Amino acid sequence: MTRLLSRGMARYLASRLAGMVIVMLLVTALVFVITRLAPGDPAAVMLGEQATAADIAQLRASYGLDKPLPVQFAYWLGELARGNLGQSIFLQRPVTQALLERAEPTFFLTLFSMVIAISIGIPFGIAAAVWRNGVVDQAFSGFAMLGASIPSFWLGLILMQLFAVGLGWFPVAGYGDPGAPLSDRLHHLVLPAIVLGVVNSALILRFSRATMLDVLGEDHIRTARAKGVSERRVVLHHALRNALIPVVTVVGLTFALLIGGAIVTETVFGLPGIGNLVVSAVLRRDYPVIQGALLVIAGLYVLINLLIDLLYLAIDPRVKY
Amino acid sequence: MHADASRSLLRVFRRAIAAPLVSALIAATCLSANAFAAPPRGGAANIAMIGEPQTLDPMSSTADLVGTIMQHVYELLYTYDANSNVVPMLAETMPTVSSGGLVYTIPLRKGVKFHNGKEMTSADVVASLQRWMEMAPRGKAVAKEIKSLEAKGPNAVVITLNRPYAPLVAHLALSNGFAAIMAKDSIATPLTQFIGTGPYMFKERKPDQYVQLVRFDGYSARTEPASGYGGKREALLDELRFIPVPNANTRVEGTLSGQYHFADVLPVESYSRLEGAPNVKPVLTAPFGFPYLVLNTKQGPLANMSLRQAVQASLNNADMLAAGFGDPKFYSPDANHYARNTPFYSTAGTDNYGKGDAKRAAALVAAAKYDGAPIKILTSQQYDFHYRMALVMAENLKAAGLKVDMQVVDWSTLIERRNNPALWDIYITHSAVLPEPTLTPPQLGDGAPGWWSSPAKDAALAAFNAEADPKKRAALWGNVQAVVFTEVPYIRVGNFNSVTARSAKLDGYVAMPWPFFWNTGLQK
Repeated sequence: MTRLLSRGMARYLASRLAGMVIVMLLVTALVFVITRLAPGDPAAVMLGEQATAADIAQLRASYGLDKPLPVQFAYWLGELARGNLGQSIFLQRPVTQALLERAEPTFFLTLFSMVIAISIGIPFGIAAAVWRNGVVDQAFSGFAMLGASIPSFWLGLILMQLFAVGLGWFPVAGYGDPGAPLSDRLHHLVLPAIVLGVVNSALILRFSRATMLDVLGEDHIRTARAKGVSERRVVLHHALRNALIPVVTVVGLTFALLIGGAIVTETVFGLPGIGNLVVSAVLRRDYPVIQGALLVIAGLYVLINLLIDLLYLAIDPRVKY
Repeated sequence: MHADASRSLLRVFRRAIAAPLVSALIAATCLSANAFAAPPRGGAANIAMIGEPQTLDPMSSTADLVGTIMQHVYELLYTYDANSNVVPMLAETMPTVSSGGLVYTIPLRKGVKFHNGKEMTSADVVASLQRWMEMAPRGKAVAKEIKSLEAKGPNAVVITLNRPYAPLVAHLALSNGFAAIMAKDSIATPLTQFIGTGPYMFKERKPDQYVQLVRFDGYSARTEPASGYGGKREALLDELRFIPVPNANTRVEGTLSGQYHFADVLPVESYSRLEGAPNVKPVLTAPFGFPYLVLNTKQGPLANMSLRQAVQASLNNADMLAAGFGDPKFYSPDANHYARNTPFYSTAGTDNYGKGDAKRAAALVAAAKYDGAPIKILTSQQYDFHYRMALVMAENLKAAGLKVDMQVVDWSTLIERRNNPALWDIYITHSAVLPEPTLTPPQLGDGAPGWWSSPAKDAALAAFNAEADPKKRAALWGNVQAVVFTEVPYIRVGNFNSVTARSAKLDGYVAMPWPFFWNTGLQK
């Protein structure tokens, strides 16, 4: 606890937060530039096939898209400073509201898939390390290879055919009918969570196995074994805790990536999550949504990275900031 | 007669006549019961659409998705019946046209209620049409022909034209980028309330989840029998949910599992699987649309008409369609723009329909003094068939001695780039088959990408648009079609059919290019 409240810790936090602000400013500029340099035009997408160039120009002007890019950027920064991410061109609602509406499915999907990935990845990784080069290791490492190489859209379609179309246990897609209770909405997340869980468990499994193998070869493990400590206690108490730091890093980064990156799975299962929102926005060139969503995703990513670093303090007593 | 013989005769009668007769009677009874049983009332239909609508304003976008959903909420003065004839919807009857063809008087139905409970009057109609002419891409084109629009009492409107313009009523009847009649109080830009007269009312839109419509109990239906989009409309289902499902395979699986009662635009590869499923009926709408290539007549190598004719001659349209759609069940290489049984059927100019004549194309290339500049083909993989057809087209052009620069971009980029004549020579797109020729493709109007403008075009279209007599218009359309084949501003590759699917429980569904769900019920 004292480590958490020390003066060094305060300095560390202040420098990290300052770094975060710089990163976010860079992200803001990069997102704006990349979004606007990409060809395509939201006005042309909105108006459809029959629209003339004059119609498109008129609509562009009504959204201020005809103004010079620096003017548009300055306007956006001004809005950001007021805490406003802008107004979606297509959804006719504030970007913040659109993101909040997508937060629930994305959060629960990320949570469930991480629970599945960790439940598979860490125990299987430990077992593969403990019985290295044996049948268990071969089987689990093979599973990891398979999980890493299966495309998520393919696994999604297979699970859909088996469990939704064939057995009827789960809905094929969507996030429930209008007014559906939370339990029904969560029921829609089971198959996509399994897909993401299995695919992401591979990385966690490989990391757990590799770091456990390293730690199990260290001197303090040999000492513990020489002192007659049971193998179970050696693995779960002495080795696992030391092996956790890299695993926690991977788990944290996977979590952060899933918040904005479950794009393929969300699309296949028709989930109205943040990934789906970003894809639709990119396809339609809904600039405010692309900019706002990417900014929020980047912010969460940076924040989760900071939390992972702070978590090291709780896991490893040797870590000091 | 012996008893045995009598019994045996009786057996013969029973087997040969009585049994089939009874079976036939039972079958007939069942059939007639089915034929006359009205679809059931109640329930909610989940309708899987290809994506999230660009907007819910039916005037501002000509995207099919917007019109398909909002035609349930808003109605038009006129609409199309099953045979592509214009029939009245909110108008009481067809318009009265003055002898010179300049003044259209449209009587309105009385007692038609909006979703806010107010009765429709000519003030609502004038305000709606005014908005359509000011902001809708289609409306703006029509507005050039209109001198004035005014109310004539509470139940009629009068449209006065600058010059005779026969397609006026066809434009007012089309439910795409449409002249929706809105409650005057609700009119705003952007629209925030969706108050129409349709059998369904807007309830809620949750982006990427659903657009929810509910039955309008105060709906004022026409009394004529239903036919196509026309006649009596009845909201049998309590609720319609238009669900965006961008992944086509997910739409297929969702329909097979029973989660969706209808799925729009399915891959042709899924047809046999849908056909084999007991709980699903695949629906083939033929013809649904036509892929077409727009040629840049303003700038670049194809500004030369001879070279455009060379492109036309080089293409093997049948091969392109086969590459795009696979099984001939899903396409037809029709040279004529309109089918044989429709008012605008014509074979004028169809000798020039591309059959892959590389020799003739090469001769035309030589005659055009082609300088070897690459033909920039702009295409997208958003629609698989566009890309696959582009691959065949590229090979056809190369066989004729033309150089090709294939540019594959995403759809948003394509529709932006096509507005710049320096960036492309040919782009690929498609359209639904519409009943009136001037409704599509937009190259028949002014200013559309391709920028086709010529005295022959103006003369042929002016004569066609000025003629009100349907029989004479059919012949005049042939002249326009011939000019298209000669000047090659666009190449209509052929027709394609759309695959959709409905649950076997969905009763009363009638296949039309833009699917609708009034008069449709769900069996329990």
